[in-house]
Amino acid sequence: MTRKHVFGALAVAAVALGASGAMAQEKIKVGFLPGVVDPFYQVMELGVNKAAADLGVEVVTQVPPTWGVEVQTPILDALIARGDLDYIITAPTDKDQMVGPLQAAVDAGIKVITVDTFLGDGDYADGPVTFPISYIGSDNVEGGRIAAHGLAEAIGGKGKVYINSTNPNVSSVEGRAVGFQEEIKEDHPDIEVVGLDFNLDDPNTATTQTAAVLQRVPDLAGVFGTNVFSAQGAGTAVVNAGLGGQVQVVAYDATQFAIEQLNAGTVSMVLAQKPFDMGYLAVTFAVADAAGVTSLPKRVETGFAIIDKDNVTDPEVARFIYQVPN
Amino acid sequence: MADSDTRLAERYGGDASAAKTPGRHFILTLSRLWAWAFLALLIAFFVVSISLTTGGSVSFLTLRNSQNILVAITPVLLLGLGQTFVIIAAGIDLSVGWVMSLASVLSALAIRGTFNAGAPLFVAAIAGFLAAVGGAAVVGLFNGVIIAKLKVPAFIVTLGSGFIVRGVSLLLSENTTVIGLPPGIRDYGNNALLYYLHGEGGGFFFVDRPQLAGEALRRLDPILPWPVVITAIVVAIAVFVLRKTQFGRHTYAIGGNMEAARRTGINVDRHIIMLYILSAGTAGIAGFLSTLRFTAGSAVIGDALLLQSIAAVIIGGVSLFGGAGNVIGTVIGALIIAVLTTGLVMLNVEAFWQFIVVGSVVIIAVLIDQSRDLIIGRGRSG
Repeated sequence: MTRKHVFGALAVAAVALGASGAMAQEKIKVGFLPGVVDPFYQVMELGVNKAAADLGVEVVTQVPPTWGVEVQTPILDALIARGDLDYIITAPTDKDQMVGPLQAAVDAGIKVITVDTFLGDGDYADGPVTFPISYIGSDNVEGGRIAAHGLAEAIGGKGKVYINSTNPNVSSVEGRAVGFQEEIKEDHPDIEVVGLDFNLDDPNTATTQTAAVLQRVPDLAGVFGTNVFSAQGAGTAVVNAGLGGQVQVVAYDATQFAIEQLNAGTVSMVLAQKPFDMGYLAVTFAVADAAGVTSLPKRVETGFAIIDKDNVTDPEVARFIYQVPN
Repeated sequence: MADSDTRLAERYGGDASAAKTPGRHFILTLSRLWAWAFLALLIAFFVVSISLTTGGSVSFLTLRNSQNILVAITPVLLLGLGQTFVIIAAGIDLSVGWVMSLASVLSALAIRGTFNAGAPLFVAAIAGFLAAVGGAAVVGLFNGVIIAKLKVPAFIVTLGSGFIVRGVSLLLSENTTVIGLPPGIRDYGNNALLYYLHGEGGGFFFVDRPQLAGEALRRLDPILPWPVVITAIVVAIAVFVLRKTQFGRHTYAIGGNMEAARRTGINVDRHIIMLYILSAGTAGIAGFLSTLRFTAGSAVIGDALLLQSIAAVIIGGVSLFGGAGNVIGTVIGALIIAVLTTGLVMLNVEAFWQFIVVGSVVIIAVLIDQSRDLIIGRGRSG
């Protein structure tokens, strides 16, 4: 009797162990490597973690302290070297330079999903780079177009506008500037883009540059800041020139800081992306791929919300403000 | 001792009596004045080219633009000021850009904290200043003690402390930008000492920004924004300290020959510690001002400024081998950089040309410095 009981207990334990062993094998492990520490990627991380909890995925997150290939690559290499990751969800900091390092991940048997920024031209079906499973992010060209449309409305469909951007050859901000220029050219013949400057992620420089443009073009009607630092610098220059409310400033990215600038009148319109969606979807894509799903779309666009002074308190809009609970 | 100090201090000063021939005299004059001349040429170039390319509709020399340039130089200049002292004493401080970022974060946290605790805006701003300069001074003390007492090269110590400071700033700020500051802080960082209203009902307004709306705002020029005023005060103090005080003379003496300075009874270790505190302190002021200016603290605000500040110091004629240079030179160096940034954008030329011009000017500065040494006949082996 006693022996039988012991046997039975052992059998149950063995089955349980076996089951948990099987589960451990099925449980996939995902590396999350965003572009830089900032609120946008922090919200994306919330999406990643939520999906991971919902779907039983283990996530390893590493956030580069600064934006750049030279900072992101060693972290990526370390993630690959761990040897236990099945997927890497990442925002490449350069669409060309990160191709090699991420190819190395694929060569090590890790599948890649890019979020927010893409490799090559972002067309993973027919473009120059096809190894990532999918690109999940904003259509930044479309975002640039929406920003242009919003700015055009704000300035009454005519006048001169200026673009202040951060760095060249980053797919996200580059796309925004391209889309902005296309939209102006095609649909707003009375608006002229008078310049595009790169501030190299320094709001001091963005301020100086915008102040100089205000000198060169005294009748400037609007500024498009391709990210919050650009918009911050541009807005500071505009307000200091006594042109707050007259020269419209559109900011990309709905950080709380951008909303603060909106409320202070430095910025007139904020374009919100949906980083939470990007993070959540990327993890579900990894799980689906691991489960054998073969028809995952190569490109998913998560869309935008436009925030201005009138709708900023509307909960339907306010939920797109990038908020990280402490 | 005072005599030898003075002699050291004025080694490259106004006295060109060493020049016996007209050729020598020319080179020596050139070595003192070339940065001024280059700045004047640069301004003349932008005045003419901007006027030509825009058909005269845009002018480089406007009141507004002069103020924009003055504001633009403040961060580079403040980092360069402390650096000027350190380099004259044959040291180097690579941590200043990151110390500025730390100070920006610390001051933002202090301003937010004290204001939310019920302090008036002005008191919160003072707390921000103290947090910025105090936090920076701690880093300077750390640098100075290790360099002076443990004899570790300044290059290594300040590089290492820079990395540490950077990590601390990013950790403290949590998401690189500290927000939630009282909006009134913006006025401290952006309002001006004086305003000039062009045209109708125009004139000067002292301190109080006239309440205007609409089109009239375009006619209002701020003159001497607060960051410029504060920077000017710091520059004046720095000029005085370096030229007129024993502290200044000792700085030259240590840079000229540290052993000799030690033998003449100067407390070299203590002086070096003071220099690094000073350098971090001016970076702290720069961080504080950027927090006021942008109504937010940023853990990355000073990252790009270290090399610009060193460039300003070198263009200004401070010898990297120590012993020579002055504060006004650094002001000129910072001005050259700011004039380039503004002028190139007004010309609608790629702003990246700035780097090419600044780089060339730095090398020219050193070449002129060396030819001066040859003429004077003091070959420095370094």
